[in-house]
Amino acid sequence: MTLLETDGLTKRFGELTAVDDVDLQIEEGESLSIIGPNGAGKSTTVNLITGLLNPTEGAVRYRDENITGQEPHEIVQQGLSKSFQTASIFPDLTVRRNAIVASLGAEHGSFSLNFLRRLGGYNAVADRARRTLEDMGLYDRRDVKAKSLPYGDKRRLEMALALAGDPDLLFLDEPTAGMSPDETDDTVELIERIKEERGVTIVLIEHDMEIIFRVSDRIAVLNRGSKIADGTPDQIRGDPDVQQAYLGGVEI
Amino acid sequence: MSEPTETATPTENADATGLLDRWDALRERESFSVAAAVAFVVVFPFVFTNLPAYSGYMSLVELIYIWAIFAIGFDLLLGYTGLLSFGHAVFWGGSAYAAGIFSANAYGEPLVMILVATVTAVVLALVIGVLALRRGGIYFAILTLAFGQMFYFLALGPLAPITRGENGFTDVSVEPLLGVLDLGTGFAGVFGAVFHDVGYVLYAGFFVLAVATAVRIVRSPYGAILKAIAENESRVGFLGLNVRRYKLAAFVLSGAFAGVAGGLHTIHANYVAVGSLYWITSGDIVIITVLGGIGSVFGPVAGAAAFLYVENIVSGEIAFWLLVLGALFVTVVWLFPAGIWGIVDELRSAVRGRLTGGDT
Repeated sequence: MTLLETDGLTKRFGELTAVDDVDLQIEEGESLSIIGPNGAGKSTTVNLITGLLNPTEGAVRYRDENITGQEPHEIVQQGLSKSFQTASIFPDLTVRRNAIVASLGAEHGSFSLNFLRRLGGYNAVADRARRTLEDMGLYDRRDVKAKSLPYGDKRRLEMALALAGDPDLLFLDEPTAGMSPDETDDTVELIERIKEERGVTIVLIEHDMEIIFRVSDRIAVLNRGSKIADGTPDQIRGDPDVQQAYLGGVEI
Repeated sequence: MSEPTETATPTENADATGLLDRWDALRERESFSVAAAVAFVVVFPFVFTNLPAYSGYMSLVELIYIWAIFAIGFDLLLGYTGLLSFGHAVFWGGSAYAAGIFSANAYGEPLVMILVATVTAVVLALVIGVLALRRGGIYFAILTLAFGQMFYFLALGPLAPITRGENGFTDVSVEPLLGVLDLGTGFAGVFGAVFHDVGYVLYAGFFVLAVATAVRIVRSPYGAILKAIAENESRVGFLGLNVRRYKLAAFVLSGAFAGVAGGLHTIHANYVAVGSLYWITSGDIVIITVLGGIGSVFGPVAGAAAFLYVENIVSGEIAFWLLVLGALFVTVVWLFPAGIWGIVDELRSAVRGRLTGGDT
């Protein structure tokens, strides 16, 4: 089943066309990666889908429903979550508090007048937060303030925030950027595992080719805002357009 | 608790840690905060009225409770949600006028007056909140300031037939509490020594209620969500939470506290000054809250006590009391950015550090 579909997605900033008529289909359970050189429009595409930006033209459909132009919190409530490229966490809250806030969104929708109800009484929220932290290997550090975590852990907390609401579709924007080779390996393993265990469909935005070819079922290649190729890793590897435009003609 | 020593044996440390854990568990309970607030209103008058130069009248103690309620609510917005409003005088003054005008024209029972004041403040906060929260940061502060001043000039000019303009509203007519208990009625014996008179029970009672409500709010999902908004607003939206509504809710809640305080102030002063709507009042509540320590329930209480002591007692001794207030403010904020309550917090963790053998 097609989970998400974009139709002629276009974003112009004045003269610059950052995203140009991009069509994407994401099937449930499949691992799609979106790749492209810096400035290809990968992050802008994700921002258009997740509601941070409004497209100039085109539409986004999630489970056959048009979600174009909805606010981020409305889109997240439908089960489409995003993990940021930079660790966008709550630095002065503890790791556990970070996960609790993330888990609250899945509990009672986007707003509730529950200001006289005890947070401690929401067992489902606490359970989901704990499970997510355990999955991410952060449970032992739950009482530490988020800002004092090492860099790799911050990035994992960032992913935990996106996961704590139990999304069906998760966009990971360069989850391994700035990580050491060891941390990168751990993160890739983690992504594979959460995909398996939680049945969440993951879309990776990356420019690290090695990771892409390891984890993707299908790859979409963007260049200068347009989609220039879409296929299996093998098809992409052999695609002359991709080699020319993106890889500078170098054989991979 | 055993005497803390540098050379505590491991068992003693374990004992101390066990006691501290139990102490923490106790503190987590809301009844603890309520009990602390009740203990405070019993003990505070004795301590405060014995401070240097204090002439011993209870009225100022009551006034401190009223301002503390205002400040506790203001801190829900400033300390928890990270929104600086420079127009909270409109909720304090607006509700004070509503209570006063209602008492003169309809009914002056204190609880009814407070209800009218609170509803007025909530309605004002909803309208101003929807408009001002369209912008963030400094623009939000300026918008709230502009709305506040707008109401000040409305009360001064066009609405003068109702508000009595510059003279203030003098026709406040407070009836006995529940129609039978005159606010000035004193209590006899031990009860009298502790609770003074009906008026004191009214002001102290609402103060305890405000503390209990604020503690409850802080420990509800709102406590977590509002702090998260203060730290990283856009991320909260990407967690599926409607940031604008939560900010509005925080704004209205803090307006409601200001409304209760404004109503109580009308009852207390038997008068509404037009200055209660002036921007200086908005500034005072910012200073009280920051001086006491933002991001806590008890910090603003300490701020209100310190501010009113300087404003009312020190001003009788030293002509340039505003300079004293300024010096106090700068010193506290410079040395302890977390305010007076930050000093208490630091002392507490120092004591805890010694009890647990200095490992913390």
